[in-house]
Amino acid sequence: MPTHSRPLSPHLSIYRFTITMAMSIAHRVTGIGLYLGTLLLALWFVSAAFGDGSLSVVHAIFGSWIGQIILFLATWALFHHLLGGIRHFIWDSGNGFSREARFGLAWANIVASILLTLIAWAIFVWF
Amino acid sequence: MSEISEKIIATPSTHYGAGKPSTWNFIVQRATGALNIAFALFFIYLVVRLARADAGTMSDLLSNPIVAIVTALMIISATMHMRIGMREVIEDYVHDEKLNRFCLMLNWLVAIAIAVVTLAALAKLVFWG
Repeated sequence: MPTHSRPLSPHLSIYRFTITMAMSIAHRVTGIGLYLGTLLLALWFVSAAFGDGSLSVVHAIFGSWIGQIILFLATWALFHHLLGGIRHFIWDSGNGFSREARFGLAWANIVASILLTLIAWAIFVWF
Repeated sequence: MSEISEKIIATPSTHYGAGKPSTWNFIVQRATGALNIAFALFFIYLVVRLARADAGTMSDLLSNPIVAIVTALMIISATMHMRIGMREVIEDYVHDEKLNRFCLMLNWLVAIAIAVVTLAALAKLVFWG
């Protein structure tokens, strides 16, 4: 029997851009980012388990400009995904489905995630 | 193969799809998600306390029983959550049946591997300095 791929409904390319759509995509992207980010935690702990020699190499990687950019983005991904998760819990409870609530939550998600990231880095890294 | 009608999908008794694991994944994703809110705050504390710290300082803090247990639970909760999240992405975008199964298996292996390796490193730091 010949097999055919199941038909797919039209995807991203046909939809008008909305903030809720962008935040939905961002929730997935930050989730995938944090998935990869666990490798950084594994790298950190494993290098520490092998001693100060390997740990100092990881410190150098994390402390380099590219390492700092990755850690900054990982911080934002963590806050964005965390707040996005709270947004989903609000929806799971049956609330927040009105137009105003959806758009308000989506904007709050992006604005608060950026603010929290900047505040965390300002307190713990920059000052 | 008979046509998959709307009725088949909508009726729980037809058991269309993987009902039990899907319900389990639905519950676990929300349970670990809620826990991960607290674990994320703990993780920030951990990173702030141990940034640039040498291995001795790390094992000193991690050997505290509460810190050790919470860190271990955090690793387990995070890897469970990420496995289910990536599973949903694979289900949505990898349509080829063989590739889909391969990706789901790889995802499972990656999540387990990261959990095991990180927990082993934590155990080493906790018990053997």
